[in-house]
Amino acid sequence: MIKQHLVNFAFQQPKRVFLLMLVAVIVFAAMMPKIIIDTDPENMLPSDQEDRVFHEAVKHKFGINDLIVVGMINEGPQGIYNTRSLGVLHQLSQQILNIEGIVPQDVLSLATVDNISQDGPGTIRFQWMMNQPPTSDAAAGEIRNAVENLPFLNNTIVSPDGIATAIYIPILHKDQSYRIVAEVEGIIDSLDSDDSFYITGLPVAEDTFGVEMFLQMATSAPVAGLLVFLLMWYFFRSLSLIASPMILAMVTIICTMGLLIGMGYTVHIMSSMIMIFLMPIAVVDSVHLLSEFSDRYHKDTTPEAAMREVIDHLYKPMLYTSLTSAIGFAALALTPIPPVQVFGLFIAFGVMLAFFLTITFIPAYVISLSPERLQKLAETTPQDDNNGPLANSLKALGKGSLARPKILLSAFLLITAVSVIGVNKIIINDNPFQWFQESHRLRVADKVLNEHFAGTYNAFIVLEQHNDAELQAAFEEKTTAILEQAKSQSVDLTPLWQQLLQSADEIVLSEDNASIYPQFLQNLVLKIDDQLFAADAEHIEYLEALLESTEDVLNTSKYFQQPEALAYIEALQESLLTTGIVGKSNAVTDVVKTVYRELNEGTSDYYRIPDSSAAVAQTLLSYQSSHRPQDLWRLVTPNQRSASIWLQLKSGDNVDMSQVIAHVDDYITSHPLPAGVEMRWAGLTYINVVWQEAMVKGMVTSLMGAFFVVSLMMIFLFRSILFGLLAMIPLSATILFIYGIVGWVGKDYDMPVAILSALSLGLSVDFAIHFVQRLREMVDKEGSFEKAIPLMFEQPARAITRNAIVIAIGFLPLLLSPLVPYNTVGMFLAAIMIISCLTTLVILPILMTYLKGFLFKKAQENP
Amino acid sequence: MKGFSKLLALIALLGATAATSAEENDVELIVSKANHVAFYQGNDGRAESRMLITDGGGNRQVRQFTILRKDHSGPDDADQDFLVRFSRPSDVRNTMFRVIKHIGNSDDRWLYLPGLDLVKRISSGDKRTSFVGSHFFYEDISGRSLGADQHELLENTDQYYVVKNTPLDPTSVEFAFYTVWIDKQNWMPTKTEYTDNAGKIYRRIEALEVKDIDGFATATRMKASDLRSGGSTLTEMRYISYDIGLPDEVFSERSLRNPPQQWFKRK
Repeated sequence: MIKQHLVNFAFQQPKRVFLLMLVAVIVFAAMMPKIIIDTDPENMLPSDQEDRVFHEAVKHKFGINDLIVVGMINEGPQGIYNTRSLGVLHQLSQQILNIEGIVPQDVLSLATVDNISQDGPGTIRFQWMMNQPPTSDAAAGEIRNAVENLPFLNNTIVSPDGIATAIYIPILHKDQSYRIVAEVEGIIDSLDSDDSFYITGLPVAEDTFGVEMFLQMATSAPVAGLLVFLLMWYFFRSLSLIASPMILAMVTIICTMGLLIGMGYTVHIMSSMIMIFLMPIAVVDSVHLLSEFSDRYHKDTTPEAAMREVIDHLYKPMLYTSLTSAIGFAALALTPIPPVQVFGLFIAFGVMLAFFLTITFIPAYVISLSPERLQKLAETTPQDDNNGPLANSLKALGKGSLARPKILLSAFLLITAVSVIGVNKIIINDNPFQWFQESHRLRVADKVLNEHFAGTYNAFIVLEQHNDAELQAAFEEKTTAILEQAKSQSVDLTPLWQQLLQSADEIVLSEDNASIYPQFLQNLVLKIDDQLFAADAEHIEYLEALLESTEDVLNTSKYFQQPEALAYIEALQESLLTTGIVGKSNAVTDVVKTVYRELNEGTSDYYRIPDSSAAVAQTLLSYQSSHRPQDLWRLVTPNQRSASIWLQLKSGDNVDMSQVIAHVDDYITSHPLPAGVEMRWAGLTYINVVWQEAMVKGMVTSLMGAFFVVSLMMIFLFRSILFGLLAMIPLSATILFIYGIVGWVGKDYDMPVAILSALSLGLSVDFAIHFVQRLREMVDKEGSFEKAIPLMFEQPARAITRNAIVIAIGFLPLLLSPLVPYNTVGMFLAAIMIISCLTTLVILPILMTYLKGFLFKKAQENP
Repeated sequence: MKGFSKLLALIALLGATAATSAEENDVELIVSKANHVAFYQGNDGRAESRMLITDGGGNRQVRQFTILRKDHSGPDDADQDFLVRFSRPSDVRNTMFRVIKHIGNSDDRWLYLPGLDLVKRISSGDKRTSFVGSHFFYEDISGRSLGADQHELLENTDQYYVVKNTPLDPTSVEFAFYTVWIDKQNWMPTKTEYTDNAGKIYRRIEALEVKDIDGFATATRMKASDLRSGGSTLTEMRYISYDIGLPDEVFSERSLRNPPQQWFKRK
């Protein structure tokens, strides 16, 4: 048997065991420097996921970059519209332009945008809004008037109350945002200013999380490790004994993380928690082993004999607890979220590695201890020996609970019922900002800026016209008619026409399918125009007709320049405002209406969409004579086939985003999209909703799958359906109670909470396995359930409780972390331990008492 | 063959040397000659221009227009009239742009938008705004006043005078300075590079093709590149003629709504 070989090897060649471990640690530790941190929530979706691909395409198509938002607030009577604040803002904006890794030409601030205004009768003026800071209050007031007059700046660049202004900094790569923010902060510190500054934006939250996560990996995990160590020392009172589980946990973590990094996986928010998850699991088995060893080892046995006895005894439950934990985590591979899959599979690997080390390293370690140490060990009584406080309370617990089975069982059923109600109250929601605690500067900045502005969270509604086939049909019909007519006049244009079509086709090499046909038409127009100059006299008339037809079709193709199309967008925008979540939306309509108004003397009657496509085109042509014509292409593509509505949301909560999505769906049902137009979502806030939905669905599958497999394993392990199902009770109760609490407390069901179902599944079945296995042995040995059950509240109950306490308390330092997912894990570990320990020790014995007739037939029959 | 090209090179070199010795690093003279070649060839002229605007994402747009120009009588290389008529894209067809360029004073500019049936005067002020959405600025088309910058001859190579131009009023422009390469052969400024306050070159204008037309050196292919966004605009000038005898009335306000067809027609 493999077990025998392994254990014999450990006993015979302990030095080899240590050497092999050392080599493994060196090899895997050597891989660690290759670590790549990845905090991009977009990576929660596979890179080829449909919505993510579209989001990337939209970013490329509209030239949109991720944004860092710098907010500046002055609560004085003039708000930020005072010469000093504006001077500071000007200086800050100018210096920001020199930071590496940003997109300087797209930075939005009062100091970089254009003003469109009237300059006397019949005169329109394009000028920088604030090329130089104003020197008088009157000049500052003029800037205020100008901003309030321009809808696409008001409430985006300056808040309507004039108290807050924002600088939007587009960045090239999200993973640079922490550095860029540090540089911006450096500039702010160097300014002589009374204003308060706040920095926010999703990329900042993500990158900051990455940096702080790294810190947490370096602090929280070791602190938790230390506390676990101290608790074990309290229980076992032997440093030499408890050093081994700590070494084992370290080796497991180093090998698992080293393997993960070595295999080229990035360390994501999820995988950063692998070490925190592995530590309790790795420690649990060895604590069981050592707990029994210290109980069994006396002067009159050899350590090897005692250890062999313990291993014989615990091998099966340890194997099964490890397998169940591994399966619980491996089932996460069923979710469609790559970082969660990696997390689950590597933990499963770590769990099995810890098991393997438990049955090899721990025995090798114990027999390698010097005789003096062992001597000492045999003499030390563990803190909680049979008469210690823990032992006494457990005995009392056993007696007490078995005396009031009905009350306790009713209470258990009541809690179950209440939990079911709680589970139904669960709100599925996530928001990367909520991964920080409320007092975190990012959460504060987020709150403050969203109080003043329309919203700092972005989502995009993208409308695309896909009627290429119709365009082509119209084009062919028109041109064929002209060619036919030419033929009837015995002018054969076909060879020339074919040649023109071909040459226009050759240039079309756009990545974007939607624009290929209009691009072809545009090329063809130029080709015909060129040809006209060199054409034979008899061809000219027809070529001109062909040119006109081609231009007609090309004009029709410019869909989002047509007043009807813009009216649809305008109405949709108005409807979005009624959600209360969308603070503001920006679209090409806003540019058209504003410029049209300014072309018409700034009269508010003209704040509307002009009546013809040509009027819209010429309005937009006028706008392009500004300093920043490129701003237009963030809202509509140059071929006018795709338009994007930029939504500024006040909240990045997925529930709120989902509500906006539902609103738009309803709107589209009652106001159908124009023919050929397709609507899709993009933007980080939307992407978060997509992966969350995938996660929730995936988690249900994964949990059900794991639950089913673990149930089968229990039935197989105990060769009994009844025992198998009983063993599932603590685990089911733990999961149900914990999610019941989540529901009642109103904590959002977010990514960390979802993942913890796997941890509950893996850890809470352990106690039941140990308990049932030991009880059956005890019943065999003692002859009856009645005799066996009090003994269960001695050594076996102590081992279980020690474990529960060590892990529950050991991970409380996670509550001190500034990152909420770490707090959640700390809290949950404690809850899992307490609930599963109590259910195992209280409810299982009661149920077994009722069912003993079915469970222990043989033992009862032969007393 | 080889000998022949050597001979050509030698002649070119001699020509260049002759030019250098004649002007002897007089930087003001160099820039004024370049200014003349770039903006003042002939007394008047007509050209058709096609701009292909490509943005950083590869999107392409077209602007096609015909441009008429006439120098005012009086001092050389001074005030000028321009009239521009757009023909493509067809939705902006007949949009007109009229300019009276004043040296030492702001220009007068008008726009006629047929779709809105509206004549708008465009406030003078900043000339460094985009020319109809292209990567060329209005100032690149009409010419930057020689008095706006301080000129310094950086280099005098076999082929070029390299002149550094530093603005006298740095707050009025977005660059720290710009450098111009002036071809000694024909005085054409063939390359201009703009450097920002951080010392980075962020913008470039090149004359890709210079042709002799009616005896005047003329840039027929020009490219403006925005090095930050990766976008660029290629301008092709065709059907160019000089000294065609444009009457003054062509440039009147009336022409905005009623463009003088005979001068805009391709001949």
